[in-house]
Amino acid sequence: MTDSEIIRDDEVFLRMNLAERLQHILLILSMGTLMLTGMPLIFSEFKIFKSIFAFGSAFYVRGILHRIAAVVLIVNIVFHVFYTIFTKRGRANFKEIAPKFKDIKDAWSLFWHNVGITRFLHNRGVGKTFFARHPALLFEKEPEFGRYNFIEKFEYWAVAWGSFVMILSGFFMWKVELSLKLFPLWVHDIFVIVHGYEAMLAFLAVIIWHMYNVHLNPEVFPMSKIWLNGKISGHELRTLHPLEYRKILEGRKAALQSSGDADTPAK
Amino acid sequence: MTKILRIIVLSAALAAGLAAAPAAGGPSNEDCLACHSDKDLKSSAGKALFIDEAKFKGAIHGQADIGCVDCHADLKAVKDFPHTEKIKPVDCAFCHAEADAAIRKSVHGLPHPENAGITVSCKDCHGTHEIRPKNDADSSVYSINIPDTCERCHLDRVQTKRGGEFIQRYNQSIHYKVLTKSGLSTSATCATCHGSHDVKRVEDPDGRVARKNIIRTCGLCHAGIQRNYLEGVHGKDYVKGSADVPVCTDCHSEHAIQGPEDLNSVIYSTRVAAVCSRCHDDERLARQYGFLTSRLKSYASSYHGTASKFGETRVANCASCHGFHDIRVSADPKSPINPANMSKTCGKCHPGAGANFAKGKVHVVEAKAESKGSYVAKVLYIIIIASMISVFLIFIAADLYRRAKKRVRS
Repeated sequence: MTDSEIIRDDEVFLRMNLAERLQHILLILSMGTLMLTGMPLIFSEFKIFKSIFAFGSAFYVRGILHRIAAVVLIVNIVFHVFYTIFTKRGRANFKEIAPKFKDIKDAWSLFWHNVGITRFLHNRGVGKTFFARHPALLFEKEPEFGRYNFIEKFEYWAVAWGSFVMILSGFFMWKVELSLKLFPLWVHDIFVIVHGYEAMLAFLAVIIWHMYNVHLNPEVFPMSKIWLNGKISGHELRTLHPLEYRKILEGRKAALQSSGDADTPAK
Repeated sequence: MTKILRIIVLSAALAAGLAAAPAAGGPSNEDCLACHSDKDLKSSAGKALFIDEAKFKGAIHGQADIGCVDCHADLKAVKDFPHTEKIKPVDCAFCHAEADAAIRKSVHGLPHPENAGITVSCKDCHGTHEIRPKNDADSSVYSINIPDTCERCHLDRVQTKRGGEFIQRYNQSIHYKVLTKSGLSTSATCATCHGSHDVKRVEDPDGRVARKNIIRTCGLCHAGIQRNYLEGVHGKDYVKGSADVPVCTDCHSEHAIQGPEDLNSVIYSTRVAAVCSRCHDDERLARQYGFLTSRLKSYASSYHGTASKFGETRVANCASCHGFHDIRVSADPKSPINPANMSKTCGKCHPGAGANFAKGKVHVVEAKAESKGSYVAKVLYIIIIASMISVFLIFIAADLYRRAKKRVRS
């Protein structure tokens, strides 16, 4: 049996189960609301926010919505933590998404592979002996990723760090009296500054990095549907997550072998 | 009772005046009314010459039994009726010398270069045959009626320097509202601030609304506020004759004065910062008096300021923390922003505010020296954001470049 028979290109794999998709949707909703209701405070000179928040108690309602969204985000995070600790799949995912040195190497080699400057020089006959000694520097091949590539890992840990910073600073901004009971004013001022800038960082990261990787990237344009149906095809698995693909393949091959001389391998 | 007393006094004064005057007597009121009680009596120019006897009798001069010719003195000697059409204007000064003297020194009595041809006489405000005393609710100079009386000329026909619209603003003011709607007859009318017979231009240093006198003028009614004001930094410099410090009208406006809760008020919670920064963001004043500008900027970038911009009134404006009439420097132990008083001041909105509220600078631009922590956090974040976004963009560009190249090749 060939590899393409063991994992057919049109076979469907589950990349995000219902719980994971729900966590992602809750994250979209809460983060979206937090950004929409928080941004007027940073860009208070923008006409659009002035016209949105023109009616009497608009500003008050904005604050309430922001807090509700914050609670949803916190609940979502608690949900995610419990899911990660107490389910087998959660623990497996976490192991996969944990940062490794390979991720930095992957980012580095993917970038130089994309730029292709060393291959260009090599083709022109520059540094022949040097490249003969260090063929890796030609970055001929794209790095191969497992279940989560360095981009996805970065986004995950960025959300984790960002949420921690935002929840901590936001909590003390919400409970300003408590904050000032514990800290001097200048510390509280830092919470306020950090909350605003971290929000901008998160906003820009989502708009630029995440939007490119899951929407605008020609590979998935206009949108990767994984977040809706949770499905990934055998083909996508093989091309985008080759290490995971091979792991599954090896597993199935071993299963085939252990089933001995059976004519019809069980799936 | 007082009315009766007044009449007696007036009559006595009049009798004394008459005794001093030559050629007493002349035509009686009945003689005059023989013709002037005719409702259709008109001058050749068509002006009605009817005198309502009942109304005249009810008016102050009628009650005091003053005869027609006591005022129309040139008719005293007339024997043949009807008399000539042209008669001399009434000279009120004959009895009201004091008011006359005041008028002559007022804007109404002095030549008006801008309004040449317009002269103001007693009757323009007080009326003629039906003059009533100023405490009579039907009088044209009764407090509640004064705005109408002044505006009869000043809304339209006789424009003052800032125009009728400026005068009209008074009719939206709290003073006018309580005067007319609530009938609080002691509320400020035109005459309360500008004076009555002694109305002066605002530039005239003797005028009641002159910058030099405005504190006293407003203090006539707002005595407590006047005292507070004089204790504050603004008031202390005002007494020294500074032309830079704000007086009542600089913050409250002149005619359009509203309570701070009124949405249209210039000192409505969300507008206070704009009012204060008119002076406090001024570079010249800042240099001269040694305060920091960009306070508005730093306030506006705080949560208080931002929320205020969106119309939220539950947040602090300048006055919430600094006070208003008796604003004091922070070193003053009585100042609400003195470090010792901060927890009380902040505690008005943030219950349980402790000493930590004073540990840090309030609304300063995040500058190195002013608030190190915020400054460092801000700079760090700007560096992180800038480098992160650059890396993202470079990565994306490299990715798109490779894809484009692949497409060209295939």
